[in-house]
Amino acid sequence: MAPKNKKSSAASERQKDVDETENPLQAVVLADSFEQRFSPFSMERPRCLLPLANTPLIEYTFEFLASTGVEDVFVYCGAHTDQVENYIQQSKWCSKVSPFAKLEIIRSTSRSIGDAMRDLDKRSILTGDFLVVYGDIVSNVPLGAALAAHRERRAKDKNAIMTMVLREAGDKHRSKTQGASPVFVIDPTKDRCLHYEQIRPRQSNHFLNLDPDILKHDDLEIRQDLIDCGIDICTPDVLALWSDNFDYEAPRKGFLHSVLKDYELNGKTIHTYVVDECYAARVKNLNAYDSISKDLISRWAYPLCPDSNLLKDQTYRLQKGNVYKEEGVILARSCTINHRTVIGKGTAVGDGSVVSNSIIGRRCLIGRNVTIDGAYIWDDAVVGDGSTVKDAIIANEAIVGKRCQVLPGALLSYNVRIVDGTTVQGTARVTRFKRKRGYDRDEVAKGASDPKVVGEGGDGFQMEKEEDQEDDNMAGLGTSGLLVYNMGNLSLSSDSISTLNSDLSEEHTGSHDHYRASSFASVTSDDSQPSRGATEFHHDAAAGIYDSLQRGDATDNIQLEFNSLRMSANASEHQQRRAVVAAFMKRISALIESGSAIPEAVKQTIPVHRTLIERVIFDKSREAKDDQVDLLLLIQADLVHRNAGDSILVFVCNSLTLSDVIEDRGFEQWWNNERSVQGEEMAKVRAKTQQFIDVLLADEESGSEEESEEGEQSNDDDDDQDE
Amino acid sequence: MPSVMLAPTPGIATFLKHLKHNPVDASIENFVSLLKRRQIRSSRPCAIATTHLLLKVVATFRDRDVAKLVERIRSVGQQLIAAQPREMAVGNIVRRVLGLVREIAEDDADENPDSTSMGDSGYLPYSNLEPSGLPTHFSNFSPPKHGSALPQKSGLSQSDSNGGDDNSGQGAVAVEKQLDRRPPLLTSHTSYVASAMAPQVTSLFGLLSHPHTPSPTATPPLGTQSPVMKPGLTSRVLATIPDASAAKVDIKAEVLEGIRELLDELDQADDQIAAYALDHIHSNEIILTHTSSTTVQRFLLAAARKRKFTVIHAEAYPNDYLETHATIMQGRQKSAVGDDEDERWSPLTALGITVIMIPDSAVFAIMSRVNKVILSPHTVLANGGLVAAAGALTIAQAASVHKTPVIAVSGVYKLSPVYPFDTEELIEYGDAGRVAEFQDGEMVESIEVVNPLFDYVSADLVDLYITNLGGHAPSYLYRIVADHYRAEDVNL
Repeated sequence: MAPKNKKSSAASERQKDVDETENPLQAVVLADSFEQRFSPFSMERPRCLLPLANTPLIEYTFEFLASTGVEDVFVYCGAHTDQVENYIQQSKWCSKVSPFAKLEIIRSTSRSIGDAMRDLDKRSILTGDFLVVYGDIVSNVPLGAALAAHRERRAKDKNAIMTMVLREAGDKHRSKTQGASPVFVIDPTKDRCLHYEQIRPRQSNHFLNLDPDILKHDDLEIRQDLIDCGIDICTPDVLALWSDNFDYEAPRKGFLHSVLKDYELNGKTIHTYVVDECYAARVKNLNAYDSISKDLISRWAYPLCPDSNLLKDQTYRLQKGNVYKEEGVILARSCTINHRTVIGKGTAVGDGSVVSNSIIGRRCLIGRNVTIDGAYIWDDAVVGDGSTVKDAIIANEAIVGKRCQVLPGALLSYNVRIVDGTTVQGTARVTRFKRKRGYDRDEVAKGASDPKVVGEGGDGFQMEKEEDQEDDNMAGLGTSGLLVYNMGNLSLSSDSISTLNSDLSEEHTGSHDHYRASSFASVTSDDSQPSRGATEFHHDAAAGIYDSLQRGDATDNIQLEFNSLRMSANASEHQQRRAVVAAFMKRISALIESGSAIPEAVKQTIPVHRTLIERVIFDKSREAKDDQVDLLLLIQADLVHRNAGDSILVFVCNSLTLSDVIEDRGFEQWWNNERSVQGEEMAKVRAKTQQFIDVLLADEESGSEEESEEGEQSNDDDDDQDE
Repeated sequence: MPSVMLAPTPGIATFLKHLKHNPVDASIENFVSLLKRRQIRSSRPCAIATTHLLLKVVATFRDRDVAKLVERIRSVGQQLIAAQPREMAVGNIVRRVLGLVREIAEDDADENPDSTSMGDSGYLPYSNLEPSGLPTHFSNFSPPKHGSALPQKSGLSQSDSNGGDDNSGQGAVAVEKQLDRRPPLLTSHTSYVASAMAPQVTSLFGLLSHPHTPSPTATPPLGTQSPVMKPGLTSRVLATIPDASAAKVDIKAEVLEGIRELLDELDQADDQIAAYALDHIHSNEIILTHTSSTTVQRFLLAAARKRKFTVIHAEAYPNDYLETHATIMQGRQKSAVGDDEDERWSPLTALGITVIMIPDSAVFAIMSRVNKVILSPHTVLANGGLVAAAGALTIAQAASVHKTPVIAVSGVYKLSPVYPFDTEELIEYGDAGRVAEFQDGEMVESIEVVNPLFDYVSADLVDLYITNLGGHAPSYLYRIVADHYRAEDVNL
């Protein structure tokens, strides 16, 4: 850890010089959120170009930036970069009259926000304080005060690296994130954020894990009533931190949480700026899309309303009851346009139709006797005579036939055609394209139509459900699901700590299901709860031990460092073992790769530092050797991923026996543990150890007095066999 | 210090700075987005920004064709008005400038009938339109007064009605202006009396050229026209004749000069209005006013120097109450325009005036004791009605029940030629979050919250308008409209 810290402080030193000079306000727009919550729509178009109240989402973002006086803008694109680029280049933001001095679109292969931030750090284009916002933000918060506060703090203390702008909202609010709700622990005297955690609705226990140190502050606010719309005022140090911690993925769950955790270590503080007026929200998912559309129409976000006509060619005018119509709307005399409706240019509504609480795009054709309520109909869509559309989204150029029923919650993607007289279920996500998980990016291919969904002769099929699809339900019937961070997208390099790390998180997210039934109640209760804190501890500790092993530090020193880390993170025993195992295994495989033979590598590592391992085992005197079993399981799981993992396991076991770290009883219990044979890989990796165990167990049966000797003997046998 | 000079939040100050350093198209776009974002709002900042912008538009205009200049200004104006149609001051200024250009062009054409420089197309259609237009009609109606007024300077109307010291200041400005090339013409552009004269002149020409002559060359020569004019006018025309050779270039310069005077007018409007204060506010009166308005504040301050009275201030919750509080406490709005700190700003209370702040709901109850109501309109309309901050209608109606006189104080720049056929259209609806807390999720979800920023007060509820030109009955406003705007510019 030490060299890293030095590096980051060097980076901040460098930045300090730059800070002295005058800087224009810069902003980074993360146009791609690296999520797929807008499927099926986001398959064909980037989410930042989806229309919100008939204006592409990114316009609101740019408008927000322009209104705060930002001069340089960097737009990060992931998926659909071409579309975003085309759009931006043709918009006024790129024209000569653009309010921005510079607008740069950065193409990147980033798979997460973390990657994007690290990429940004490499480019070193950001010179001073900058804003980070998402490409789907809707806000009219004047940032002047927040920026001033940030700068003032920063002038006093270089370590105040970030200010988050948060909007106060009540307990229940339609514009708040459904699903995981963020909890901020704030010291109101300094506006400092002390702790951050996300609580999921399905989480079994609604507990926060607070560091006892936090409670030493005189004033504490623990707030769950904040809309976190992702507006961050950052200093360049933030980028350096992202770079130093290459495993951070998400800006809140990863970055914020860890930086706050590591306060003791790096001393960086993060602050909040809570506003209680003005509007700020993020179109995070379809729920938010729905509620923010409503907010815009009801003028909660004034002056961001449809009649502000953000786009040049828009001509919306407000009429009574929050009805916004563009010029050139054709309404039949007998149709009824009810409150809270937006209708775009060239749209025709037929006789006897009733439209309420809806947004209809341009050039749409709404037939006769149609009922539309709470629906979002994008440009060029057609709704045939006598149909009913409720609480649904119909995308561009989709066609709903005559006498159709589109039930609440349905999503019809681009160009879908629903045949006359079909009923579209509320769970329908009808699309014409399939997503294929490609090697380095997802590809989209046209799929065959499914007459069950769209009727005979229609076009489109039900999209396959994806894991992050669950919380998209428009109707918001409390189906907001687990927001499992999509680990599948990680580029797993096989030999880095981050691999361990991701394994850990994966295992933990699954832990509720897997472990609960198993007999290792003690293991689960320890670590399933503080799983995210564990990630950071694990990362630090494993990296620390590994570094020390590499340098060949004395065992005592390593132990000391490890202890202090353990104390500060309040790590559980399981976490400690995990960290130790990870470091040791990595060291061993590194040695093997550098040319040492396996027994040599093991010998160099384990016997020398055996006290380290002994210190994380606490059950020597007890009958049930849970800790030892756990350690072995961890070793086994770790070796699954390594080259020649099965051979290494044999030698490690051998070495552990020789050093008296693990008792025979422990081996026995491990071997009989169902988890050690769980899955094909686990079974495979321990296959070679079979003989070793057989011998060991045989010895035990033969007599406990000669245990050690016998063990030695058996090990020798093993060695022979392998060589 | 890490960059203390942080980019300030955009507003009129940044716009004016932007205007100096950037091409005009970028500035137009900037202004449009500022209007859309409501970062420039309320009449005075809008008027000032528009005037500065048009100054730049004209200054950077390269073509000599007046018709094209008119077209350019008109197109800019259309963009600005489309951005925020309810800020009528923008449209008013655009129309004023258009009228200015037309007037200069017409004068110029009259003086140099042979000159083809200004383009037949630019000039002719308007002169043909003229006879049927409003201005012609009215200026024919009462020529003597205006005719006699013409030789005097722009300070004229003030010098009629108010005392010496203010006039001397005005006079100095006027004299300074007079040193310019064509003083009488220049000063006449913005003063209403003089501009009233201008249509008259052209209308006479229009009458003379009435037989629908197809080109200006066909209009009678100069000599035949001059006898028709009043003696003062003749001298003016004669004075300009030597300049005729430079006329082509001068049109732009004159327009620029005229626009600058418009800026002066914006600057001085409040002072001029305040000069009438002593005529209307008497000792020991109880005056009721509403929201924070620089014009009203200065009006009251001017009276407060000589007289003691009581002011009841309705706070205009929820949109302007903070500004109102600031006005009562500090005497000026928080977001005062311009950087020149005026030392005369002090709260009324500092001058020994009792100020009582009441909520809007108490207005009716207290109205029986009020002697006068002073309103500050957002926009004054041609029919004598006005648009003012929400709450004004309640006040005006309460006043009408109690037969309390209602006085509206407003610069001429707020006077719009637009006739309010649909009063709903005039009203802006603001942030619902000011009425009900956005924090209250259930409320947001289930209740429709409406926050109108303005009220429309019809003409019969207002007794008197005080502009920088003097006091007028609402029924007389159409005259001022006709004097300031060309009929052909009313619909941009």
